[in-house]
Amino acid sequence: MQHLEIDNVCASYGKLEVLRDVTLSADKGEVVSLIGPSGSGKSTLLRVLIGLTPLTAGSIHVGGERVDYSNRKNLKKLRGHMAIVFQQYNLFQNMNVLRNVTIAPVKIKKQPRADAENKARELLEKVGMQEKAEAYPDELSGGQQQRVAIARALATNPEILLFDEVTSALDPERVKEVLDTIRSLTDEGITMMIVSHEMAFVREVSTRVAMMDEGRIIEVGPPAQIFEEPQQDRTRDFVSKILSH
Amino acid sequence: MDYTFQFAAVFEELPYLLGGAAITLQIAFVSFWGGAVIGLFGAIAKVYGGGFWRRLASGYVVAFTNTPALVQIFLLYYALPDAGILLEPLTAVLIGLVLNAGAYLTEILRAGVLSVRRSEIEAAQTLGMSGLQIVRYVMLPHIAKTIYAPLSNFFVWLVLGSSLAALFGVEELTGRAINISTVNLRSIETFTVVAMIYVVLTVIASSALALVGRLAFRVKAKVF
Ligand SMILES: Nc1ncnc2c1ncn2[C@@H]1O[C@H](COP(=O)(O)OP(=O)(O)OP(=O)(O)O)[C@@H](O)[C@H]1O
Ligand SMILES: [Mg+2]
Repeated sequence: MQHLEIDNVCASYGKLEVLRDVTLSADKGEVVSLIGPSGSGKSTLLRVLIGLTPLTAGSIHVGGERVDYSNRKNLKKLRGHMAIVFQQYNLFQNMNVLRNVTIAPVKIKKQPRADAENKARELLEKVGMQEKAEAYPDELSGGQQQRVAIARALATNPEILLFDEVTSALDPERVKEVLDTIRSLTDEGITMMIVSHEMAFVREVSTRVAMMDEGRIIEVGPPAQIFEEPQQDRTRDFVSKILSH
Repeated sequence: MDYTFQFAAVFEELPYLLGGAAITLQIAFVSFWGGAVIGLFGAIAKVYGGGFWRRLASGYVVAFTNTPALVQIFLLYYALPDAGILLEPLTAVLIGLVLNAGAYLTEILRAGVLSVRRSEIEAAQTLGMSGLQIVRYVMLPHIAKTIYAPLSNFFVWLVLGSSLAALFGVEELTGRAINISTVNLRSIETFTVVAMIYVVLTVIASSALALVGRLAFRVKAKVF
């Protein structure tokens, strides 16, 4: 049984079909990366997984159980196991770093505040942000905010972590610190799905890479296949174009 | 022509004037909170409401922000008795100011509702927050912060604007000043003192609001 199974999933925005029969799975602890041109549906797939965009057909299973996105309880349970980090960090601007990280454990998982804060400080140390626990998001650089966003996602103890182009909004010198943070998480048994244009990083950390184009997954394979012997012309074009940049 | 200022006659009446100032603040508070309740519903109707509610709210805002508050109160005061509703002057003033404030606050609050970033709401959803938790922890702080400055200005406007109640014989600060000056014939002194009391009222009001904003919503407002 796969940890995460996506079967023939379709999704649309109005009349625009954005995902067409997407099928993909991830074993427990696997790091699956999604690559592909702009507009191919990578973000939409992650949004469908965490219930921000409705699927119009197909099914998603987590730990063997089918997720019913229309059921509020079921959705809440799913979000207790799965977390997402967005390109634009999306921290709560009116809360300081510590509160951003503790709000879900305290208000949703009903943990005692002291326990949640201890755990949060550990997580902040892990992402190198322990000194900034009292700072507000607008006092931090993009890279720092993104590391806090990762800590916030980790605070709910997710079994599945989704990353949507988490370094695209960052200065080149900030990219490394965020990638290092993600890299340090890959051997903790968390299943990850990573959308990224950082090909060297994708190649290094992924167990498998999926190439998307026009709402479909056109090729899936280990990084060596995708980057060295792609089976599809479209993949070869995309990879060579992006690597020559 | 020499004019000797004589403030003593005014200072004798200071307790009487301060009593009026208290009534002024009460009028401002009632209008503000009454208007805020109407404004919240108005703003929600304008942002999220369907055709009918949106049009109703828009019509209300247009009508009340394009006519003077004084005229609105005159209409209430003189037109309603024809419909068999007799209003005390203070009641007419309060109803008029509440309706007027409601229209302005609808617009102010609407900006606040629109200022909430969708991305933060989505982040909150993915963390598993319920709708009510999102309103409480994510939306309200943003609304409060955005509308905070226009809200304080508006409150100050209400403190000053409540002086029109004097025209209807309400004995708030300005009304009492008129009463005194017709007896002591020291209009300049009386109104100078009254002007100072207004300054003190508005400074206290806006400092208190700035303090609240700073402590509660991290607004970088100057307290003094
Ligand atoms: N909220 C929306 N409303 C309507 N259309 C949308 C919306 N979000 C995305 N789309 C469209 O859906 C398609 C897929 O978008 P998506 O964001 O999933 O692509 P992506 O692969 O993540 O691209 P990028 O690399 O640029 O982030 C695009 O054609 C996009 O224009
Ligand atoms: Mg995207």
